[in-house]
Amino acid sequence: MRWDFIIPLLIFFPVLLIQITIVPLISISGVVPDLILIILVYYSITRGQLYGTALGTFYGILIDLITGSLLGSSMLSKTLAGFTAGYFSGETKREINIHTYNYSMIVFLCALIDTVVFSFFSAFDLQTNLFSLLFEQSLLPSLYTSVVAILFIFSPLRRKKI
Amino acid sequence: MIRFLSKVWADFREYIILVILIIISLIILSQNQNSKVQTVRAIAFGSFATFTSIISDIFSITDLKRENEELRNTNTNLMLQISKLRKYGIVNDELKRLVNFKNKTSYPLIPANIISRSLSMTQNTITLNVGEKDSVSPGMPIINDQGFIGMVYSTSQDFSIARTIHNTDLKLAVMDERSRVQGIMIWTGEELLIINIPNNFDIEVGDRIVTAEVSSIVPIPIPIGIIEEYKAVETSVFSYIRVKLFVDLTPIENVFVLAEVKSKQIDGLELNFYRRN
Repeated sequence: MRWDFIIPLLIFFPVLLIQITIVPLISISGVVPDLILIILVYYSITRGQLYGTALGTFYGILIDLITGSLLGSSMLSKTLAGFTAGYFSGETKREINIHTYNYSMIVFLCALIDTVVFSFFSAFDLQTNLFSLLFEQSLLPSLYTSVVAILFIFSPLRRKKI
Repeated sequence: MIRFLSKVWADFREYIILVILIIISLIILSQNQNSKVQTVRAIAFGSFATFTSIISDIFSITDLKRENEELRNTNTNLMLQISKLRKYGIVNDELKRLVNFKNKTSYPLIPANIISRSLSMTQNTITLNVGEKDSVSPGMPIINDQGFIGMVYSTSQDFSIARTIHNTDLKLAVMDERSRVQGIMIWTGEELLIINIPNNFDIEVGDRIVTAEVSSIVPIPIPIGIIEEYKAVETSVFSYIRVKLFVDLTPIENVFVLAEVKSKQIDGLELNFYRRN
């Protein structure tokens, strides 16, 4: 059994548990970091773009089912985020992108894409102020997520050889 | 031909897979109201909610002492208000008796705890530790001592998911308590607005907003908030009305489910009446 491919699927559940029970306690004006996205980016970079895209779909559909949001919205946004993170995978780029602050920047970019796509399906109408939508619902959560991702760079769990 | 397809697959497989998954996502997006999808959703969150309830119980213990003190304070104030209201109630009962009015009994409330929440700014939902076995069903309002919180959306045997008022999919018929002007309340993702109120209607800053009695989903007037900002929009016939909620949604943990769903018989009767005319 290829545990390398199954572990990311299993690790989703405890991380989601933390995301919906403990992470709200560290929210700032309703803005929370997205731990699911952090691990999605990590596995996209380490396992490749194809795996990351599929993993994003898997994570997204489960998030929609479990949290009650519009079914398909997280699925689409996480698929795109996983695909984008996969661009930073590659034999020569992997180590640099995982072990340096590049990781935080990649997480920020993918979080931005994720939140913009998600907000588009849930909040957009013709009267919506696009800049306000981008700032409050995309930029701020993405910044918070990328700050939390910096902690991940120093995590001893990541020292394991990829 | 096969070699060509193999080459295309080898060169563009990531993009092909992405397009396929996007199409699947869009198909699923269009199937949100499908009953089978709702059943799968109820099973999924019901299974997961068992674990989230354990974690939330551990964290709620630390807030109990503070919450108890606040509740004691609130209870004392309420006791004083009730004494005053009791006197008015006696007079009211006497007047009702005189005009042969029918009394309404108190509404059934089901206490519940929030065991997990999705803090999306546009699709805010909460999971409650009560479900079908506690007589909770979709469409029941969620309230606390301060006012309206949300609406039950989906239930399983032991748990239920509710859309809070900070959810773009929840649209409420509301009313200005002073002027009785009615409108629709929506959450835009950033602010709570009442829409479709013409500029010349009687609305003032500070007016109390409650759920409208004509609402097809909330059976009684429940406090929602106060009008924080009101201005007539020059380029439109409708005003800009922003509401501040009574309830702070972030720290709440204990809520009540109003165990009453507006009668389908009444709705069906009204619908047939309007269709005929």
